[in-house]
Amino acid sequence: MSTAANHPSVLVSQAGAGAQASARRAPVPWYLWVGAIAVTSSSIGGAWDVSWHRSIGRDTFWTPAHMAIYACGVLAGIVGLWLTAQATFGRDKKMRDASVSIFGLRAPLGVFLAGWGGLAMLTSAPFDNWWHNAYGLDVKIVSPPHTLLILGIRAVGVGMLFLILAEMNRAALASEGPAGVVSFRRLQMLFLYLGGLMVGGQMFFVQEYTWDVALHQAAAYIALAIAIPVAFAAFSEASRFRWAATTCAAVYTLFVIGEILILPLVPAQPKLGPVYFPVTHLVPAKFPILIIVPALALDLLWQRTKKWKPWQIALVSGVLFVALVTAVEWPFADFLLSKASANRFFGTIYFDYNARPWSFDRLREFLHPDSGMKLWLGLARASVYAAISTWVGLAFGRWMRGVQR
Amino acid sequence: MKIFRRVVWMLLLAATALPAWAHVGSKDVFEDVNAGPYKLFVTVRPPNVIPGVAAIEVRASGPQVSAIRMTPVPMTGEAAKHPPTPDAMKVSADDAQFFTGSLWLMASGSWQVRFEVDGAAGEASAGVPVAAMPLSILPMQRSLGMVLGLLGLILAIGMVGIVGGAVREARLAPGVAPTAGRRRAAWMASAAALIVAGLMIYGGGTWWRVDAASYAAGVYRPLVLQPMLSGNRLVLSFGGYEHRGGLWRVESTDELLPDHGQRMHLFAIRWPEMDAVYHLHPQPVGKRDLGMTLPAMPAGEYRLFADIVHENGFPETLTATLDVPAGMSNAPLGPEDASARPPGISSGELGTNYRLPDGYSMVWDKPAELPANKAYAFRFRLLRPDGKPATDMQPYLGMAGHAAFVKTDGTVFAHTHPDGSAAMPAVMMANGSAMADMSGMPVEPVSPVVEFPYGFPSAGRYRVFIQMKHGGVVETGVFDADVR
Repeated sequence: MSTAANHPSVLVSQAGAGAQASARRAPVPWYLWVGAIAVTSSSIGGAWDVSWHRSIGRDTFWTPAHMAIYACGVLAGIVGLWLTAQATFGRDKKMRDASVSIFGLRAPLGVFLAGWGGLAMLTSAPFDNWWHNAYGLDVKIVSPPHTLLILGIRAVGVGMLFLILAEMNRAALASEGPAGVVSFRRLQMLFLYLGGLMVGGQMFFVQEYTWDVALHQAAAYIALAIAIPVAFAAFSEASRFRWAATTCAAVYTLFVIGEILILPLVPAQPKLGPVYFPVTHLVPAKFPILIIVPALALDLLWQRTKKWKPWQIALVSGVLFVALVTAVEWPFADFLLSKASANRFFGTIYFDYNARPWSFDRLREFLHPDSGMKLWLGLARASVYAAISTWVGLAFGRWMRGVQR
Repeated sequence: MKIFRRVVWMLLLAATALPAWAHVGSKDVFEDVNAGPYKLFVTVRPPNVIPGVAAIEVRASGPQVSAIRMTPVPMTGEAAKHPPTPDAMKVSADDAQFFTGSLWLMASGSWQVRFEVDGAAGEASAGVPVAAMPLSILPMQRSLGMVLGLLGLILAIGMVGIVGGAVREARLAPGVAPTAGRRRAAWMASAAALIVAGLMIYGGGTWWRVDAASYAAGVYRPLVLQPMLSGNRLVLSFGGYEHRGGLWRVESTDELLPDHGQRMHLFAIRWPEMDAVYHLHPQPVGKRDLGMTLPAMPAGEYRLFADIVHENGFPETLTATLDVPAGMSNAPLGPEDASARPPGISSGELGTNYRLPDGYSMVWDKPAELPANKAYAFRFRLLRPDGKPATDMQPYLGMAGHAAFVKTDGTVFAHTHPDGSAAMPAVMMANGSAMADMSGMPVEPVSPVVEFPYGFPSAGRYRVFIQMKHGGVVETGVFDADVR
């Protein structure tokens, strides 16, 4: 670990000064914008595709949702090939110096990560096709070939994030003057925007446990405790921003609310049976989980505990995260299952075409709610997981802070 | 690669284990239906896996048809009320009355494909029942396994390389060369990444095996038929195990729909020569059993093929074997039952003209070539001893004829009718009261020429049993078919 990275306060002030001086001079390189667009495109495509399967059911290779996901691969591919060509064969020493060497090729680390993700996505295609022929079209999202695909998409996203990260870290660590240093503040915001999309990805992965009717089960909070603090802590440490967790949570929240407001405007009808709920438009995601509340609290905590040991921070963060997310989401779930939320904003009026009339979702009833000892023990477990998740996030975030290539 | 090979092996083993309890029906449906004034000859080829795509063909006759749209709908329950958006069928470029298309069947069970026909005589609709069930699992082709294995290997090595590169250089300031210590750390990190990659592949393989096994467990198996013979009294019960090694649960006979007035159509065929065949109709005894007094039958081992139709229109052919001892019975054949004693299959292929015991004969207008999977309307004629068409024709069990197509290795049994291979109660459910009169006697006089829509599902040797009724006698003609 570099010495600079161990002294965040010094670093932030340097970065601030550097950023101010360089704001006008060095624009964000085109490939970082393209990378951010690529990840945005796959996030939109992913949400759109899930909605497509919940509303229309049947798809082809060429649905707009799929195109948005492929666009991510194409854009990331262009960025990756260009950067690899520059760093491996080009004459630009700066490019060459800011790259790592893997199997004889030179490129920023993020390019290799994204390339790996692209290959994983490509591999998943014939695998998934065979899977459908062998076992039928998957009814569940999380199958081995889909996991490989999701892993690939996520790797492309992380790769683009690392491209920005390295550029941002170089901007922050450049102690001598602003020459050639890119605007730190802009890179920081771009980084946190992608971080927010990543948080959305984490929420996507745990959605099976955090469905609104499951929010009175300890399992929902255990899933959140494992998946979310690690991202908040890592992005907070790596970005050096006081409100990093809040920013990421806000990106996720706005993205999902946007989905709820926009998707139902598009007419759609099921093209597959059995149809249990006659759908007339694209069905959006469920209302976002209120992780923005614990995010704000964690940001406030982390601003005040810079001198603490990581395990101390992690322990308090874990308890705080679980306590707050439960305190706000538990009663909010009651609201989501009530008539009061049955409107276009909270979106509890939307159901999949194959939502059985007797399902908990359609009946708006909680699925096997936990109470008493089971609940408290579950929440205690969640706090432990959240603490571990935070600790891992802090450690990885500190490591990320030093990444310069 | 090893994981891939292991999984492929497991799938192969599972696939070879399947025929022990695989069903013997022909999955493809060949059906003649009337949509208002239009006559449709429909072929539905359901997929081997569910969810999967069914291929559908329609040949229209009668008034000119301009367009056909189709949609899959469950036969019963809430979802039967909400058909998905229909798809337009494609018109053949060579034949304006031939339509093709494909539909997703998303769940196992009793479905119908609904056709909306538009043409010279206005709009009309009809339904064809389809039993959707997963029938097999597909082993992975060697070449695909190799490609995927290679890509997997590249991904694993790539991951190791990236971790190494990240530890070695990613945190260095631009232009700074890595120290020996960093290089060492990178090697160690690479080794750790290799272990992680191995664990991920192993975990993924285990997950795959679990999914494959759970799919294999869901492959369709018909209910188990249990015959009990005491004296000349045959009692049949059927049911299933709740899970492998679980409790035996007898199905109620109340739940069965009468098919041509009978809850079960039982074909008993002496095996392996197929030289004695009986079409019998056991009657419910209480709620759990069906029973009957067997007629006089030559001793030997019989294969039983029992057709039933469940409440939701789902048809099943249950199979069992029965040992008939010598001198078991001298009871006569029931009035609606039928039998035949053709020569055994080892004594050569039967011709297209089958001489019946009372001097009548039955003739098959057999196509010169019989490729598998091709839809035909096989035509049979009943002739008097003088060679003229029979004149005293009567309906047999409400139809002009009944046919059974049985493969000589016992893997295919299909009991079909002039309307097609779908079970009649299911056809009636799909078409509501419009076709309710089909359950009774046919309105038209019975012709001595009968056509059965059918396609042989696989190559091999088949024996075909055709039953028609005239002058109070049910005749059973027997023919052989060599399908390529």
